[in-house]
Amino acid sequence: MSEQVTDWFKFWAENQKKFLESWAQAGAANAFAFPTNAGADGKAQPFAVDELFKRPMEQWASIAKSAWSPEKGFDPEAMKVLFNPEEWKRAGSSFDMGIEKLTEGPNFATLWDLDRKILNAQKLWIERTKDAEDYAAVVRSAWNTAFERFMAALNDPEGAPLTSGRALLNLWLEHANGALVEMHRSKEFLEVQRRMTRSSAEYRLQERAIAEAFCEVHHMPTRSEMDEVQREIADLRRQFRDSRRNGARPVDRPAKSLAPAVKAKSPSTRRKSKRAANKP
Amino acid sequence: MRVKVDPQEALKEFAEFSKRMTEGRALLDKTRDSDVQIATTPKHEVLRQDKVVLYRYESPVKHTVKTPVLVVYGLIGRYTMTDLQEDRSLVRNLLAQGVDLYVVDWGNPSRGDRWLTLDDYIEGYLGACVEFICKAHRIPSLTLLGICEGGVFTICYAAQHPERVKSLAITITPVDFHAGSPTAPLHHGLIGLWARSMSREDVDRLIEANGNLPGELMSYVFSMMTPVNSLTKYNLGLFDVMDDQAKLLNFLRMEKWLADRPDHPGEAAKQWLKDLYQDNKLVHGKFEVNGRRVDLKKITMPVLNIFAQEDHIIPPRSSQALGPRIGTKDYTELPLPGGHVGVFVSGKSQGILGKTIYGWLKAHS
Repeated sequence: MSEQVTDWFKFWAENQKKFLESWAQAGAANAFAFPTNAGADGKAQPFAVDELFKRPMEQWASIAKSAWSPEKGFDPEAMKVLFNPEEWKRAGSSFDMGIEKLTEGPNFATLWDLDRKILNAQKLWIERTKDAEDYAAVVRSAWNTAFERFMAALNDPEGAPLTSGRALLNLWLEHANGALVEMHRSKEFLEVQRRMTRSSAEYRLQERAIAEAFCEVHHMPTRSEMDEVQREIADLRRQFRDSRRNGARPVDRPAKSLAPAVKAKSPSTRRKSKRAANKP
Repeated sequence: MRVKVDPQEALKEFAEFSKRMTEGRALLDKTRDSDVQIATTPKHEVLRQDKVVLYRYESPVKHTVKTPVLVVYGLIGRYTMTDLQEDRSLVRNLLAQGVDLYVVDWGNPSRGDRWLTLDDYIEGYLGACVEFICKAHRIPSLTLLGICEGGVFTICYAAQHPERVKSLAITITPVDFHAGSPTAPLHHGLIGLWARSMSREDVDRLIEANGNLPGELMSYVFSMMTPVNSLTKYNLGLFDVMDDQAKLLNFLRMEKWLADRPDHPGEAAKQWLKDLYQDNKLVHGKFEVNGRRVDLKKITMPVLNIFAQEDHIIPPRSSQALGPRIGTKDYTELPLPGGHVGVFVSGKSQGILGKTIYGWLKAHS
């Protein structure tokens, strides 16, 4: 990081810290309030804005303090850790904790909303990676078990001799299959698989939240909006089908190709069917 | 160490391996996608509703069974399984004996179909197909032939509309979703374990994130049951058949079917996983379709229940649970050798399957 950027960051962090601290102090010492809806006694009820702001202010002040202090300045080692891609790959690292701190900050209506979504997605990605690592560890242990059993079988003095390469391969596959199936039934595997499936879903949903924020900015319909529309269509189709069925009308106009297939019908029957199909 | 490979034998094995590789490669090189055709029996569209299409198969012979039969496959996989190849096709087998056959194709659900429920499929689409066939043939009822999840659809429909179903045949169909056998091989019933390992909220979030239950995810779950086969099928499995054209084409046809695994509409998947696999509502008489409880006792028509003895997806006991719960004494069970898919494609069971279904249809038409 260049010196210029460091200076800029120091300046920004210091200002941010002072700003938030002043708000927190102002909120605690002298809550400002404004009247809202009338209460049960008919009098206007003051709305304690200080309570609304106090906690997030304190949280942000705390984050700013730990990130940078006037005495020590910004910690380059911490920055290096935070921005080292190698750290990102590792689930549950200090990078993870950094993101957790940021995403657990206050929730203002619009302020830093997209940043928060992105940070939350990173946090969920790390959780997903961690779950994938746990999953891989369980699978790996099954392969180890398979190998141990294979070696034991290979050295079993009472086992039938293996006279071809294929026989040797089959022995290995037999033990591998057994160990893997056992693993797939184990509580441990089912749990890590469940967690990985869940964290993948959560990450994907957060990804969608980010994509939707982009769509909204660019006047594009979002996935959620499309889902709503499609739900409406499905409901309408359902109602249409129900009303058609309950109205005792022909289910649908037969396709042209049906006529020669249903040879059993007489011409008069076909005429009747046609009349029925034309009824409103 | 048990390895006792004779150097001469090893050389022979290597020579055979090389020969098979060479021949197999030549065969693969000349095999085109157009050589790998499935579901080739001639049929024509008679009804279309949204993405759902009802087909009627062309009959090569005069009909010998009075009542038409509607084949209903599930939403996991596709109906083409019943007509995978000419010499092992349940569809061709039944047609050749004079059965008037229809099949419903659910199509390829996309994200826009995520809100479709099992109610929509059973009462809406399947119901409309039944009504259509009955009107077209001027008959009050027909025969339903349900397969796997489609078997559940037909059971529900038959219980809700017994007057519309003359006879009901189901194959490899789950009824008791928690049934299993302590003596069954370990890989049997794994799909139920997977479904029950998730919480209800896990299922909801999975569907919310993906819209539907992805076909790829179901393929992954199926592959867990036979892990080594799944891992080695493109080297060992393919290698074993690659020098024999007939076997190679069988392998490729099966691959084509497996690759054509549509997504399962989201809301319907939630019902399938939560109401049936987790809560086992069908067998307990608590499953509802269109707000009406599915009462298995209302299945009063003749029933033929075919299951696979080595079915690792639907344990035989799961299918057999239907017998004591329905309201008819005209109930026939047919256990067949083979696994879930093998019943439809193996040479061993194919003859018995077609012949038995035909005989039963003839007797109950």
